[in-house]
Amino acid sequence: MSQPQIDWNSVQTVAAAFRIAAPRAPVGGRLGDRLGAGTGSSLEFQDYREYVPGDDLRHVDWSAYARSETLTVRLYREEVAPRIDLVLDISHSMAVTEEKLQAYRELSCLISCVAGWAEADARIITTAAAEPEPLRRPEDIERFLVCNKQKCALEESHLPFRRRSLRIVVSDFLFPHEPDAMVTTLARDGASLAMIQFTLAEEAQPPAAGGLRLMDVEDHGELDLILDEQAVEDYRARFNRLRLGLSRAARRTGATFVHITSGTPLHEVGRALVAARILEYS
Amino acid sequence: VIFTVPLGLLTLLAIPAIIVIHLFRRRFPPRRVAGLFLWRSVRVVPESGGKRTKLPVTRSLILECIGALALSLIISGARMRPDGINEHLVILLDDSISMTAANARGESARDRAVKRALTETSKLRANSRVSLVESGDRPGLLLGPAALAIEAPEALKKWNPQAPHHSYALGLRLARELAGSTGRVMVLSDAPPELPGRQEVEGVLWVAVGEAMPNVAITAAQRTVSPDEGMAAISLTLENFSNTTAHRTLRVMTGSTEVLSRQIDVPSGPVSLNLPLTTGLPAVQVELSHDALKLDDGAVLVEPHSRIVGIENRLPDGRGHEALAKAVSAVSGVTQAQNADLIFEAAGEIQKSGSPSQWHVGFGRPPSEILAPGEAKDFVGPFIPEKRHALLDGVTLAGVVWAGASPLAVGKVHPLVSAGDQPLIAEFGDNAEKHFFFNLDLNRTNLIRAPDWPILISNLVEMRRNELPGPERWNYRVGEWIHIQLPQEPKGKLHFRCAGLDHDLPSSRSLEFVAPAPGGLLQVMEGDRTLFELGVNLLDRQEGDLRSAVTRDIGAFNAQATGVRTETGAALDPLFWFLLIIGAAAILANWCFPEARRHA
Repeated sequence: MSQPQIDWNSVQTVAAAFRIAAPRAPVGGRLGDRLGAGTGSSLEFQDYREYVPGDDLRHVDWSAYARSETLTVRLYREEVAPRIDLVLDISHSMAVTEEKLQAYRELSCLISCVAGWAEADARIITTAAAEPEPLRRPEDIERFLVCNKQKCALEESHLPFRRRSLRIVVSDFLFPHEPDAMVTTLARDGASLAMIQFTLAEEAQPPAAGGLRLMDVEDHGELDLILDEQAVEDYRARFNRLRLGLSRAARRTGATFVHITSGTPLHEVGRALVAARILEYS
Repeated sequence: VIFTVPLGLLTLLAIPAIIVIHLFRRRFPPRRVAGLFLWRSVRVVPESGGKRTKLPVTRSLILECIGALALSLIISGARMRPDGINEHLVILLDDSISMTAANARGESARDRAVKRALTETSKLRANSRVSLVESGDRPGLLLGPAALAIEAPEALKKWNPQAPHHSYALGLRLARELAGSTGRVMVLSDAPPELPGRQEVEGVLWVAVGEAMPNVAITAAQRTVSPDEGMAAISLTLENFSNTTAHRTLRVMTGSTEVLSRQIDVPSGPVSLNLPLTTGLPAVQVELSHDALKLDDGAVLVEPHSRIVGIENRLPDGRGHEALAKAVSAVSGVTQAQNADLIFEAAGEIQKSGSPSQWHVGFGRPPSEILAPGEAKDFVGPFIPEKRHALLDGVTLAGVVWAGASPLAVGKVHPLVSAGDQPLIAEFGDNAEKHFFFNLDLNRTNLIRAPDWPILISNLVEMRRNELPGPERWNYRVGEWIHIQLPQEPKGKLHFRCAGLDHDLPSSRSLEFVAPAPGGLLQVMEGDRTLFELGVNLLDRQEGDLRSAVTRDIGAFNAQATGVRTETGAALDPLFWFLLIIGAAAILANWCFPEARRHA
């Protein structure tokens, strides 16, 4: 399958409207221009607390002291450049059709652009077997999106995550898995997890197409089926159970989850990610 | 590559069958999907049926075809060894006793035949085959069929010719059958082939290894006894098969005791001798001083004990009574007795004694249980005899007027002679007793004046004699049938011993077996108890004549013999194991690693 070209101008145009949403949980990272969840030295007021020796006297609220004779200091949000671990599924299933591969590449590039503009410390993880690659420029992501692996990185154990990182996982999750266990593993070490399930529209809502020999692109299994209404109904039920399983597991661990299908315009994708609190408007 | 079971190649039809199955296997248009496991529980469509599509050359098809091909070749007996065609030499060994005749150096024709056979087998290539056939009235295999040539020397060591004179025809036929069109036939004998007008046997190498030698043989021997005179005698016929008079010592022994010794001159040709002997001696051994053929220089003779048949004539006085008495008087070995073995009486007086030792012969009006309503009739023929019955052996009934035949109840008797549907002579009774019935008025018939009358009476007597306990005769030639009637049912194991041979006999009152070669004193035993001692002797004039023996090769092997196809067995052929491994691997691979898992 030939690699479709990325229209970087379109992607960058859409990406300009978004930025990485501040994670609910504090994330680590060097000082930057993104408000962190912790206390720092930005101009954005966060809270008050009683003065303790060693606090910066410049942050003492003297007005409050005048009113209450209690030394109180102002707390401001920290500004960080978050650590982003972007996990990409580059297995065959993401390239089951050219349409899916193209849409997946555009989605990945969108996230890459948004992460790059945040001057985040972003790395790309495609397998547990290799060291993560730093994402220095948004365009760097293009060389990872070959989608020729037999297995998804999420099926491997001990992915090289950093502690307290913002982990963005993009996959179709179309492999046998236990949602709770997988999501718990992905969200450990104080990380903030965002899961984006990306599938073809017909993978979520397959049409009744008559007799077909279904061939799995990864394990090469085959199944002769007549895709009638009943068969499609059975499949939809199983697919929805898989999606709901991921969603519930995400809620339990404080992660975010969103399902995006191919064919969705890129700006609509951005909106969906905003709605899922993975991105926010800049 | 050769195929030991070419019909097994029919199993190759499995390959087109597999291709057809793959060709017509149902196939849906393929679609690549991710997450096939989500479709797993969906109803699976049966795979049979479907329309013909382009044959996909799949791994499964290839493995199945390889497996079928390997199994087909195994079933058809594919062998890689190109030396599966081997020479096959069939040797017919003359098993007649003249092969043991030894020359002055002590070398016999048998020794020379063994040497020649070993010479011929040593010329054969490795893995060649040899069949050794012993000639005789019942030819047998000494080695083979188609045994390895290296086994021949051991088998030839066991060869000991002992058979009386016989034709080579049966042995030659067996040898030809074994050789077929693939083998060569060789005959080893001491004489040339006995073919009128021809010298050679077609396609057979006849090797005569004999040596013409003078020989004196006992060609006939008899031991007689006259109880009335208290005398016994041995009658011998000696034959000198040479042109000069031979001097011999003749000895008669009982065990280690010499009874008689005599120096005799035997002129060329046959000579008869009569040697007196006292009665009551056990088996005697007659010996001539040895010459070329030792086995015809001796004879064992047992004193005969004739079986006397007791006869009782109960017929009423008249023509019939007198005619019977006259006929009986002409038969030897009979005696008049009360409650005898054979009782002649009026048919109406036949009583069932229940004793199998008594036979009743009835004449005249039949007993009431077999009599049917109707008038008696006379018949002049034609008479329909049951020719195979011993009673009617030699009986013609020509010119006989059968008078006073009463009608008999159907199914009550077994007719032996009939006129139309009227039984004239019949047999009735059960196994416990035997009755013969002559449906005849002796006072009116002319049967008693016909030549058939004494024959009928003699046959009756001999039939009865044969049922009496004891052997039919006491001295036999090798190869003759010996008939013995035991006095009662045997309780132990029956067997006979003769010249070191011990042979089991069927457990029966009536024994029949062939007098074994090379002869000697034959003891019929029940367990360890000796029942009878019989003399078995060679007495073979033709084997004793060694003058026609020659040393010569006659004829030639069949040049068209192609060699017999042999195999050493699948386990020794590398191709078998190769095919087995390939076939098993293909089947296992197809089973364990299917090309497409039907369920993700």
